[in-house]
Amino acid sequence: MHVIPQLIVSTLLLGGIYALIAVGLTLIFGVMRVVNFAHGEFLMLAMYVAFWAFSLLHFDPYLTLVVSLPLFFAAGWASYRVVMRPVIHASHNVQIFTTVGLSIALQNLALVLWTADARFVRTDYYAVVVRIGGAAFNVAQIVAFVVAVGFTAGLFAFMRWSYTGKVMRATAQDRQASALMGIDTDRVYAVTWAVGIVCVGAAGVLLAPIYPVYPTAGLQFVLIAYVAVVLGGLGDMVGALIAALVVAAVEVIGSYVIGTAWKEVLYLLLFIGILVVRPAGLFGQRGAEALGT
Amino acid sequence: MSLLSVAGVSKRFGGIVANRGISFDVVPGELVGIIGPNGAGKSTLFEIITGFYHPDEGEVRLDGTRLTGLSPDAVCRRGVARTFQKLRPFQGLSVLDNVMVGALTRTKDVRHARERARELIRKVGLSEKADAHARTLSTGQRKRLELARALATEPRILLLDEVTGGVDQRTIPELVRLVRDLHAGGLTLLVIEHNMRVITAVAQRIVALHLGEVIADGAPDAVARDRRVVEAYLGQAYVQ
Amino acid sequence: MSAIAPAVVFFAVAGLAPLVVRDAFLLDSLVLILIWGTSAAAWNVAGGYAGQISLGHSAFFGLGAYAAALFGARWELSPWLGLAVGAVVATAIGLVIGYLSNRLRGPYFVLATIAFSQVLLIVGSRWRGFTAGSEGIPVPFRPGFWTLGIADKRVWVWIVLGLAVLAYLVQLYLERARRGYQLAAVREDEDAALSLGVPARRLKVAAICVSAALTAACGALWAQYIGFVDPFYVFSVDLSVKFALAAIIGGLGTALGPFLGSALVTTVETYLRAQFGGIGAGLVGIYLIVYGCALIVMVRWVPQGLVGWIGDRLRRRAVARVAP
Ligand SMILES: Nc1ncnc2c1ncn2[C@@H]1O[C@H](COP(=O)(O)OP(=O)(O)OP(=O)(O)O)[C@@H](O)[C@H]1O
Ligand SMILES: [Mg+2]
Repeated sequence: MHVIPQLIVSTLLLGGIYALIAVGLTLIFGVMRVVNFAHGEFLMLAMYVAFWAFSLLHFDPYLTLVVSLPLFFAAGWASYRVVMRPVIHASHNVQIFTTVGLSIALQNLALVLWTADARFVRTDYYAVVVRIGGAAFNVAQIVAFVVAVGFTAGLFAFMRWSYTGKVMRATAQDRQASALMGIDTDRVYAVTWAVGIVCVGAAGVLLAPIYPVYPTAGLQFVLIAYVAVVLGGLGDMVGALIAALVVAAVEVIGSYVIGTAWKEVLYLLLFIGILVVRPAGLFGQRGAEALGT
Repeated sequence: MSLLSVAGVSKRFGGIVANRGISFDVVPGELVGIIGPNGAGKSTLFEIITGFYHPDEGEVRLDGTRLTGLSPDAVCRRGVARTFQKLRPFQGLSVLDNVMVGALTRTKDVRHARERARELIRKVGLSEKADAHARTLSTGQRKRLELARALATEPRILLLDEVTGGVDQRTIPELVRLVRDLHAGGLTLLVIEHNMRVITAVAQRIVALHLGEVIADGAPDAVARDRRVVEAYLGQAYVQ
Repeated sequence: MSAIAPAVVFFAVAGLAPLVVRDAFLLDSLVLILIWGTSAAAWNVAGGYAGQISLGHSAFFGLGAYAAALFGARWELSPWLGLAVGAVVATAIGLVIGYLSNRLRGPYFVLATIAFSQVLLIVGSRWRGFTAGSEGIPVPFRPGFWTLGIADKRVWVWIVLGLAVLAYLVQLYLERARRGYQLAAVREDEDAALSLGVPARRLKVAAICVSAALTAACGALWAQYIGFVDPFYVFSVDLSVKFALAAIIGGLGTALGPFLGSALVTTVETYLRAQFGGIGAGLVGIYLIVYGCALIVMVRWVPQGLVGWIGDRLRRRAVARVAP
């Protein structure tokens, strides 16, 4: 029986990508106290970037990944300036509708520009299969996993050791105190937002060789990221990482046991269950959800 | 017969003991002051009496019936009203609507509630602001609003958390007079107050808390001179 | 508190229009304005008056639509019965979501409501045996009032107007009655409301249940009117956003606002669809881009919505006239 190792490796591969999406989302929440409902749309746009670079310029997605990171950063920075900055001190409801509005606008921009057709990035190595412990895996999945893990590790290192990362963490802990200490919180928010977008952008490019892209492609992935982020405790990066693996495990095992058609119901119910039982996440303190008010 | 009785109430937050075995009674018509340095556990005690926190031990009774275990709205309907230390007016509603919310707890008739609210707004001296949004009020006016709102629920006992805190010097006497008037009108009050001059002047009795415990309970003069109270407020050095 | 005169005019115009207007396109627009306006008003009961922002209201709409369609197509029963059953089921789910609203705040509550509508989307699109799956359900046309097989759009205007007026009256109640004052207090500050004896939790749950039932009723009528139920549409997040958008544009927590918002949103949508629909199928997305941008702009710059904005203007003009 190769089932168990196959399930384990599948979980890891999937979890790596989910982690990268979730980490950006939770970073933005942790520092800015904003749930980015447009996160999935940035993922979708990044997938399109990979697609067009591939079909027009014949760029391999992994080459695109390298060259597009500054692009994502710039897009993140610009979207912060134009859309988020005016509402950064507004109420939660205003912020929610702002990112929801951004999500709708971006999604339909893609629809208008590129139609609803599903598009594929078909690399030469698309069908190349690697065997691990008797189980077969797509090479793109493995690359995606390795890069995503490296990327997430890089982000952790950045948050821990770089000056900017420390400032971001300080701001996450206490906005007002940070502002009083002379931290330019506006700049911190801009960087945070941009870094979050870079993470999800990288994830999008990595997903492009594996999944088809269409204007609403972001939703399914970002729903999973929401689950992981809430499970790990909104704003908790390590929590999000572990939770991404948990969600991946639920998905992989769920698909195996009850079939792929219903696997989403499984993690959505998991999501609602967690919201009810432990809104602050598996590792968080009870009552922390009041921070959300 | 006591109206409010607090019996052996304890509350912990993680490692912090905010209340430890607190017991005291308030008889009808009494005005009892609660004093204590910052973090003594005064507000926590209010939260427990009004049902916002559940005590780890002990219980609170109103006129013999248990309040502990009831939800805050049920506690209010039994006749315990309160103000908040950090003021919480309904920012987006007018002063009149704010007070009406309180009045509607006692009457189902909106028109009657409106009349009652106007009366109370006049009583606390906010009449010219009746139609203004609560968010446009000054701190002193907000205190009056919270007072009127709480009174509108027709409490048997009123809990005030910091009557004069954060209010400018000129407004203090007016607020003190208001509290005195309420007491003179027969209302029972439990008042947290930092300003010693104010509290010794209005209270018939003072309960002093320190580090979550009752360290003195008695006549204002006696409590103000109590060695432990002076210690708690000024530190050991001053006593010796 | 809003005056009811503008609403009387609005509903009177809508009700009398079919006597004058014969143009099918205009009547169709009117029916849709009323349906989306009522849905937005239903959303407003929870989102505007109770302050419980949901982006999962399409769950209730879809439930109503499926109930009506299944009752007609599968069991050959009256869609009115379907409407009633849909409303009851929606109320039951409203109880669950209401329970969640007492545990979750802000973004957490929004996420939970989205998750709910997604669960129903998956059930609707995958449970082939029951719902016909992702192809959706065509609603059979069986002539008659009891079967809601009505070809005359004028009659549709009046049917939908009935529900619209009901939704309006519910909102008016929330502005004038005791429970309305209390709910406003809960929206502003739940703890302060509790301290004044307001049964905050029960009120929130009740508001969400009423909102859910009304939304389901809208879904049922819509399904009968359009004649087809597509799970990917009726359970979509976009549809939930549409309800919220019309309410926000019209004026959150105002009784007429959702209807005015719907009039504007639906008209713009119809116009843009007509303008760009012919050029390329993808271009229909343009109105949604406009929606998204409108949402961003409205919540930031005109949070009081059309009703509030017009009210401000009138008041200022009145003041200017009085002042010398
Ligand atoms: N919700 C809570 N969670 C954790 N600790 C709390 C909580 N509420 C109060 N405390 C702690 O309990 C102790 C007592 O607080 P409390 O607010 O009752 O003091 P207080 O006497 O009202 O002080 P002040 O005069 O500053 O208002 C403090 O150490 C405070 O930090
Ligand atoms: Mg206090």
